[in-house]
Amino acid sequence: MKSTKLFLIAAASLVLSARANAQLKWEQTAVDLHPTYSDTVAVAHFKYENVGTTPIHFNSVRTSCGCTAAKPEKDNVAPGEKGEITATLQIGDRTGVQQKTVTVETTDPRTPSTALQLKATIPALIEIQPAFVYWDGVEPLKPKTISLHAPKDSPVTKVTVTSSDPMIPVKVVPGSSPKDWTISVEPADRNQLRAATLTIKPDYPEKTPKLYYASVRVTNATGPAAASTPIAAVPPAK
Amino acid sequence: MRFLPTREILILIGLAFLPGLGQAIYFREKVSWQGPVPASESVSLAQARSWGSDAIWVDARPDEQFAGEHVPGAIQLNEDRWNELLPQMLAAYSPEKKVVVYCSSQSCNLALEVARRLRQEAQLKNVFVLEGGWEEWLKARK
Repeated sequence: MKSTKLFLIAAASLVLSARANAQLKWEQTAVDLHPTYSDTVAVAHFKYENVGTTPIHFNSVRTSCGCTAAKPEKDNVAPGEKGEITATLQIGDRTGVQQKTVTVETTDPRTPSTALQLKATIPALIEIQPAFVYWDGVEPLKPKTISLHAPKDSPVTKVTVTSSDPMIPVKVVPGSSPKDWTISVEPADRNQLRAATLTIKPDYPEKTPKLYYASVRVTNATGPAAASTPIAAVPPAK
Repeated sequence: MRFLPTREILILIGLAFLPGLGQAIYFREKVSWQGPVPASESVSLAQARSWGSDAIWVDARPDEQFAGEHVPGAIQLNEDRWNELLPQMLAAYSPEKKVVVYCSSQSCNLALEVARRLRQEAQLKNVFVLEGGWEEWLKARK
């Protein structure tokens, strides 16, 4: 009988101590964000409450990436007080799923460190594949293609493409759907080392379209001019 | 005081394992023993240095860190200004070269992301993430 009691106490202690209640209670420790095409930042709010009986101090709030800034609303949280930590991800030219961690260290004796997860799914205006094409010295000088695809929700309806080198002309061919295009590239001359930057300009944002780039290169040219012709380093068009 | 029978001891041990098991299932995509970079896609500093001029060093850190100091000759390419910076990186690239991408330390993900985009979007070959990142470079310099 005694051993049964002892067993029950030990079992209960194990289960309870496994996930001791923290003094700082978080409404959620993971936030899933879906910024739109026009957003430049993705902002997550991590709300908390001090459910304990003593004040809690934030010792530090660190982020896993220089692209994310996070700060608590206040440094000290009195018992019963609520607040939030705001984490801001600079979208920049990021696309796809971005997962950033905010590590919060407090004076909470039970949970001195908490990892908050910010997940943002950033939509791509346009997808370019591949962003680099080249011809080496042995392959035939046939046209190569670069695929452009605007996802279903993307506001892009049209693209224009220009080449920085007139000897590497480009042609944009509409694809099978209104949101697909193919850039066809064919250098006019393989006897010279050549490099061009293709500037891809969608029709969004309307006033200042976001520019994308692809690179084209003819390497290991075999003609007589090849040895003495340096590759032109062409800066991208702004 | 009587010792607990074997059955109870086993149950207690089982209960003690439960929280760990729960965490292992919940965080299964982030298991600590699994490195974020497959070995074939990372490179040690010694190996990268041995490539000499066949290596293109790419700094994936934010602008201000690159401006502070970087590996000599490194090209800046980060996701903050990916579209703007990519052309200069591709201008330096040639298929026979190896690309070594680094960020601040082993734990940062910036180099990983830049390397992934270079492989997937630009379809470049021989793209590696530097083990230990910029911290490792600084250590070796001392």
